[in-house]
Amino acid sequence: MEQEVGWEPKLLGFLCRWCSYAGADLAGISRKKYPANIKIIKVPCSGRVDPLFIIKALRLGFDGVLVSGCYPGDCHYQTGNYCARRRMAITKKFLEYMGIESQRIQASWVSASEGGKLAEVVTEVTKELREIGPNQLFADGK
Amino acid sequence: MINNKKINKRDIGNLLNEWSQEFTVFVPLRESGVAMLSKWDGKDTGFMDWHRNTVQPIKANFFPPMEEMFSFQKGKEGYHIELPSSDEHKQLIFGIRPCDARALIILDMTFKDLYEDPYYLPKRNNMVLIGLGCTNPYDSCFCTSLGINPGESADVDLMLTDMGDQFLIEEITEVGKELIAKASRVEEATEADEAEAREVKEASYNKVTRKIDTEGIKEKLLSCFEDQDFWEKVSTKCISCGICTFLCPTCYCFDINDELVRRQGTRFRSWDSCAFPVYTKMPMENPRLEKWRRVRQKVCHKFEFYPMNFDIIACVGCGRCIRQCLVNWDITQTLNSLPTRV
Amino acid sequence: MENKKIEQKLRQEAKTLLQQRRVDYIIGYEMGSLKFTTTPLITKSENDTDRLVVNPFIVNNLSVYLTEVKGKVGIVVKGCDSRSIVSLIQDNKIAREALVIMGIPCPGLIDLKKVELLLGKDRDELDNITRDGDKVVIMVDGKESNFPATEVLFDNCLVCEFPTPQEYDVLLGEPTFPVGDITAGQAKIRQLKEMAPQQRWEFWKNEFSRCIRCYACRNVCPACFCQKCFVEESEPQWVLPTPKWQDNLLFQAIRNIHVAGRCTDCGECERVCPMNISLRSLTREMYEIVGELFQYKAGMDKNALPLLTAYESTEVEDFIR
Repeated sequence: MEQEVGWEPKLLGFLCRWCSYAGADLAGISRKKYPANIKIIKVPCSGRVDPLFIIKALRLGFDGVLVSGCYPGDCHYQTGNYCARRRMAITKKFLEYMGIESQRIQASWVSASEGGKLAEVVTEVTKELREIGPNQLFADGK
Repeated sequence: MINNKKINKRDIGNLLNEWSQEFTVFVPLRESGVAMLSKWDGKDTGFMDWHRNTVQPIKANFFPPMEEMFSFQKGKEGYHIELPSSDEHKQLIFGIRPCDARALIILDMTFKDLYEDPYYLPKRNNMVLIGLGCTNPYDSCFCTSLGINPGESADVDLMLTDMGDQFLIEEITEVGKELIAKASRVEEATEADEAEAREVKEASYNKVTRKIDTEGIKEKLLSCFEDQDFWEKVSTKCISCGICTFLCPTCYCFDINDELVRRQGTRFRSWDSCAFPVYTKMPMENPRLEKWRRVRQKVCHKFEFYPMNFDIIACVGCGRCIRQCLVNWDITQTLNSLPTRV
Repeated sequence: MENKKIEQKLRQEAKTLLQQRRVDYIIGYEMGSLKFTTTPLITKSENDTDRLVVNPFIVNNLSVYLTEVKGKVGIVVKGCDSRSIVSLIQDNKIAREALVIMGIPCPGLIDLKKVELLLGKDRDELDNITRDGDKVVIMVDGKESNFPATEVLFDNCLVCEFPTPQEYDVLLGEPTFPVGDITAGQAKIRQLKEMAPQQRWEFWKNEFSRCIRCYACRNVCPACFCQKCFVEESEPQWVLPTPKWQDNLLFQAIRNIHVAGRCTDCGECERVCPMNISLRSLTREMYEIVGELFQYKAGMDKNALPLLTAYESTEVEDFIR
């Protein structure tokens, strides 16, 4: 699997509006640098993320997906992130069993005041994706 | 007097290889436990030891489950459309059963009636069918009730009868005649061969034990069309999947979809089923929302509407729908229990 | 025969239920139109109850009809089916009071595909198949051969932990114990786990190239009861109806995730697939994942919350940064 020259990992991030997205805003205001490889979709809550979005993103060609929400206990909707936690645990293990690299499906808790953490998370995830190479999972071998 | 030919089974590999120069040869193969007509690998003739019909029907070779219609790209001046490259190779189907061969005649009526389908027809017109008479029909086969003889077919180019070590070869069309004329190791059949073949054919005919009474079937269906109680009772156990229609050799419904990525895409057609609840879904309503309506439509389409419009029953009694149905819904039971109003 | 006695009791019970108007419908099994096949019997009429059968071929998971039949239902269930019913009750799709559950302790069912492979003959070429304790006796062309039952039972029957129904109103027969060859029933999954991820993905790519999207797997599953499945959604269109392997794989992966915690490994999806796709290697793995991560087994407690709507304040999150 040869990498094209100048290939950049494409990361899709689902950030919850109340914590993680606010954290991303803070990162911006504080001038914290993080890779532009991430495309962010704002969701009301990490619990909004259906595993269907994750695998559809991989199907469309994204190299990795990050779901980020509030810390357990801090969810704006009380219980949304608990549901997300369960769902993500199952999804990650199941898709890994099917053969998808574990680095492609990532999750984090980032609060509204953690601009630095968000920048760190995106930087690390992008680095991991760069290491495992482009997503060829759904490429037509024929 | 018609002089039939014969060939020893051990020479079939050689014959298929000869034909492979001109055609892509398809034979009934079992891959991953599923029997279908697949490209012959050029060597293995073990498929001749298996005497039953395939799971995937012959239609898959001319009307595949998924077919690219064209691809398109939006440019500055408009859309640029590209047709898929056509497969220049002609198909030679070895081992098609009389029921499936008849099914092709029925399918043809859809694809070359008022509109000539440019995807189906080139493949269909360029192919050669080598029929093979059945010696071991399933208990779900009921071809004989539909005027089809498991041992004979006029819908193929050459018709083979399995006589154990050898095949009797009957030339049905000019194309078949030409094919066999050039073939090596083909001999003339003797009187004894002919007699044996006749016995084999008769035995096959008698092995088909499942029967339906097609006498006046379209009138019977017409008379009980509004009998909701009957249709509800008969359809309760159906679970509206698409297996019966997908595996039916005469079913032809398809859906068309575009796969789009930004400014380019591909238009596909793929098999669709009237059994699906969303088949007749429209913005305002769904006329076949209830399951009994869909089941009724499936039966009537084949045994009432087709006879009414085209004088032919759109079923060849291959029995796949019965064998593969998850809940053993049996169309022959339904047809044999139609309430008749005197 | 034990089965005959159970059959008699069942027919009597079903008839009484209808006669006393305690149910509107009886859902059970009757002889099918093919050899060694049974078919669902859904009836309002007492006379039809004489056709109810109990034999080694009662494969269908009848709970799939509960989300569409209206009224009170008397239903025949085996171990796995009873858990599907509990799962549906947890999801609030059916009310326990609307059911009279007639449970049949299940010794495991005979997989005709395995029999056909073993004998090199199709089912309609066999004379008879009977279960005799831990043996299965098959008669072909007048000759009898014996096989250990573990060679011809369904894989999911071999790993079944709860063959006696969990939830029932009347139990027809003595509670039975697992046939218990857990290793045999998990063989395919273990093989897959020994492969490298890329190899595993290639395996699934290959399997799903055969899929024709007939949706038999989805329709036969009691846990799939959505009025509008995500594959039927056109705005946005997640998956095209076109059976490309990528979309077939996506469909099945998401279907499994959607039924996580509700799938009881009844094995119907794999049995019905006309293209012989190894679906149970997905469903069983999901069953194991759910058990390992959350100590949860589908369909055990009708008062419990469904898996994906429940949570503990502390649970596995080592994968979360």
